[in-house]
Amino acid sequence: MIHVRQLTKSYKDLQAGHFTALDGISFDAMPGQIYGLLGPNGAGKTTALRILSTVLKPTAGTAIVNGFNVVEDAGAVRRQIGFVSTNTAIYDRMTAWEMVQYFGQLYGMPLEKLHSQMEGIFERFQMNEIRNVLCSKMSTGMKQKVSIVRALIHNPPVLIFDEATSGLDILVAREVLRTVEQLRDQGKCIIFSSHIMSEVQRLCDRVAIMNRGHILAEGTIDELADKYEEDDVEELFYQMISVSEMKYEASLKSNSTSAGTH
Amino acid sequence: MKWPNVKLIFRRELRDQLRDRRTLFTVAIMPMVLYPLMGMAMLQVAQFMREYPSKVWIVGMENLPESPRLAVDGKINPNLGQAESNLIDLVFSEQGDREFQSIIKQFREQTEMTRAPDLVDQLIQKEMQARGIDVAIFVPSQIRLPSPNLGSDEELESSHSESEENSLALADGNQAEKSPEIYIFQNSAVDKSRIGAERMNTVLRNWTQAVVRETLTDHEVSLTLIEGVKIANADVADKIGKKAAAWSKILPFIIMIWSLTGAFYPAIDLCAGEKERGTFETLLSSPAERSEIAIGKLLTVMAFSMATSILNLLSMGFTGMFVMARLGGGMGMSGGLPVGAPPLASIGWLLLALVPISALFSAVALAAAAFARSSKEGQYYLVPLMMISMPLMMIPMLPAAQLDFGTSLIPVSGLMLLLRGLIEGQYAECLKFAAPVCAITLICCWLSIRWVVHQFNSETVLFRASERFGVGAWFRHVMRERHQLPSLGNAILCGLVILVAKFFIGFVASTPGNFGQFAFQTVIILIATIAIPAVMMALVLTRSPAKSLRLRGCSLSMASAAILLAIFLNPLFTWFTALVMKVYPPGADMLLLQNAVSNILGTSPGLWATLLVFALAPAIIEELAFRGFILSGFESIRGKWKAIVLTSLLFGLAHGVIQQTMITFVVGIVLGIVAIQTKSIIPCILFHLTHNSMAVLLSKADSAVVETSPVLSLILFSNDGVNYQYSVIAGILMGVIGIALIAWFLRLETKSAASRPNASWISMAMSRLASSQNRA
Repeated sequence: MIHVRQLTKSYKDLQAGHFTALDGISFDAMPGQIYGLLGPNGAGKTTALRILSTVLKPTAGTAIVNGFNVVEDAGAVRRQIGFVSTNTAIYDRMTAWEMVQYFGQLYGMPLEKLHSQMEGIFERFQMNEIRNVLCSKMSTGMKQKVSIVRALIHNPPVLIFDEATSGLDILVAREVLRTVEQLRDQGKCIIFSSHIMSEVQRLCDRVAIMNRGHILAEGTIDELADKYEEDDVEELFYQMISVSEMKYEASLKSNSTSAGTH
Repeated sequence: MKWPNVKLIFRRELRDQLRDRRTLFTVAIMPMVLYPLMGMAMLQVAQFMREYPSKVWIVGMENLPESPRLAVDGKINPNLGQAESNLIDLVFSEQGDREFQSIIKQFREQTEMTRAPDLVDQLIQKEMQARGIDVAIFVPSQIRLPSPNLGSDEELESSHSESEENSLALADGNQAEKSPEIYIFQNSAVDKSRIGAERMNTVLRNWTQAVVRETLTDHEVSLTLIEGVKIANADVADKIGKKAAAWSKILPFIIMIWSLTGAFYPAIDLCAGEKERGTFETLLSSPAERSEIAIGKLLTVMAFSMATSILNLLSMGFTGMFVMARLGGGMGMSGGLPVGAPPLASIGWLLLALVPISALFSAVALAAAAFARSSKEGQYYLVPLMMISMPLMMIPMLPAAQLDFGTSLIPVSGLMLLLRGLIEGQYAECLKFAAPVCAITLICCWLSIRWVVHQFNSETVLFRASERFGVGAWFRHVMRERHQLPSLGNAILCGLVILVAKFFIGFVASTPGNFGQFAFQTVIILIATIAIPAVMMALVLTRSPAKSLRLRGCSLSMASAAILLAIFLNPLFTWFTALVMKVYPPGADMLLLQNAVSNILGTSPGLWATLLVFALAPAIIEELAFRGFILSGFESIRGKWKAIVLTSLLFGLAHGVIQQTMITFVVGIVLGIVAIQTKSIIPCILFHLTHNSMAVLLSKADSAVVETSPVLSLILFSNDGVNYQYSVIAGILMGVIGIALIAWFLRLETKSAASRPNASWISMAMSRLASSQNRA
């Protein structure tokens, strides 16, 4: 369903020069599976997911989403995915109904089919009360609901959640997670990025632990626990990131000394 | 691009903006409320001004004749001006009169001597303030006009008998003629006093005429003598034409300024605002293409720009007509201002022109706003846009501005002039220049729309990281993060420093008297404003100053090719210069400057000195800065042509005058190609040196030199034996060789590109080696 190979993204910053946000990562995610990307801030999770959703273009490598290449068939890829992130806010000056309808129309859905689908989905997510409320008047939880419905309206086979629970209170976060599980049960392929251990442990079928643009380890939670002989996922995560950071600092030092001797 | 998506985005953005109170306020509420409020305020102020009566103190009333009377029952005689009579309160004071007269006496004595009046002025001012009067009128002596019956002995006698020591009455016949005087004292620093003086001037003018008329009538002289020959003015313009002429200057400006202002807020909200609120990424991950998003947003900004313009025009027009009618009725203020609605045809032309103008301004505003990460930042980016557009809108307002080929090529200004012509009904004249104006406007629109789409496709624009700016931190960062070569920012900074330094040095520089001073000043200015900024920046801001300034040797073939290129391209450059001068004729100031320079050149000790100042010094200094530091900086962005064009633009701007800017821009392009292809500053200096030397030599060419040289006599010809030009055939042939040489320079790169895989293979191997060492 999603095949990522040697995906690399580097930025050319006018001040800092080249900065590699993603350094040749590869992974596969299957339908009916939640694939977790776990990593601290700046690990490259958001960059990877932005590339999968075609918002950014990769510098090198390939990413295939439901058979479509993110660079060559960007338009087709966008029809295959629903993208929810902390950054994908909703329009304040639109009502919930208008917001969802707008995106449904952008997906090219005929108005009648769109409306019947909207009725169903508003019913399912218990959003009929807020259907004519301006998004600016909604609570954070309601907004996130609208955002998820907006991403689901065209019934995409692939869903990408980029730290979709960050900043939400526990009740709303639970609801979001429950929704994600339901979507998995419907056979959708889900990519879920987070830096919260418990969420990943509870939800994800496979996990990739990322830091500084690299995938440090990949597999099911059990596989990782066996391989690294550590049952506590949080401890495992902490150890891996610490080692990775130490290696990074050592490489910086050796680079600067070798530059100094030249 | 799918138009249903564009339409969908446009409709959503439009609805979104209409729900935004701030947009609604700027676009609709402000024009609808602001102008009527301003109009009401103006009426109130005008009313206040109108109703204020002037207090006028007349000193020496007894010296005025009985008839015609200046004052009747303590008021100004209504026959001398009904309005003024109502608005002037006369003040009389006998004791005050005496005190005032003593001050005036001093005043008059000083007036007759060389006047040092400050003290007396202060006394009079004090006196006027103490009495609370606006204007003081002083009649120093008996007013009596001479008899028009020349030579009558009786009159002469009586006149002598009445004359007093300080009498200003005119004696007739052989005596020196001196008109009787009346002084009006006013304090022009105070508006009330100034207005009072104007009113009294009108009254006294009418009164004088009445006095003269009465005297003439008494002596049975025809009144036509006063008027002499009557000059009759007849305005043959019809009413509509007159109205159109008045509107033609105002309306295009209003349309333009409001379409620009109206584009600002929606552009910021639709780009920076979306980024700020986080909805941009939501839209980017939807199936809408970037170009569809860009065009949808552009159409929205355009709609608001047009709506702002039209609403402002309507509101301003209605308020203006209402206020003008009110003011015009009472005060005769309608003089040069248009009264009544503009002709219908002019509205049609305005609406037609509004479409491309809004498209242009909206696209530029949207593209600039796309850079911004927040609404606040967006405002910073749009202020320079306003500063660039304003002069373009002001040029056509100048009385001397006319639609010709030159002005028709200036974006915005050309369209405004065309609009002016169309509103005035000069269709034949407009038709001649409609094509270039439309072409330039459409090209600008197309380029700006392309810029918007490019901005929306650019990740670096849409996802710029936020940085906090502080001068100290920035300087530390610059020093720490110095690169081998200058960055884009360094190049822009260097260009700006040069432009600003050149601007200010213009005020300080004095007019040189001889060649020595001129040469010294020119070279010092070049070093101070161009060489020092570039060299200092290369030393401080980069790790490799020599490489930044392109100080690198070059092969003999490159050096000689550069010299030949300058020689062979010279006819084309000379013709281009002539064309620019023809299309944009130099102004009086520039001609004066040219004359001054050529006069100074006459005092040059020899050709070597002229070439030193005009060719060698600029060649070395300007190349170091422009093809050296600045071009190296611009090369950090992708695409060598962008770097060449931007450098040439700065190079052109550094030459100050518009004609020079255009010429040096083109020369800069060729120099840029030479610099990038040879990677060395030396061929550029040689090209520049040869190019400038050729210009000096051509201006010095005379018949003695040309006719003795077989080559020169083949290439050059002269109609007057003084000014030599290239012959057409020789010029074209030389141009072809020049272009072939450019092609040769361009091929240099392909050769080096062919060898690049080798280099990259080596560098890849080196980097692999380094990384394996690191891992180990």
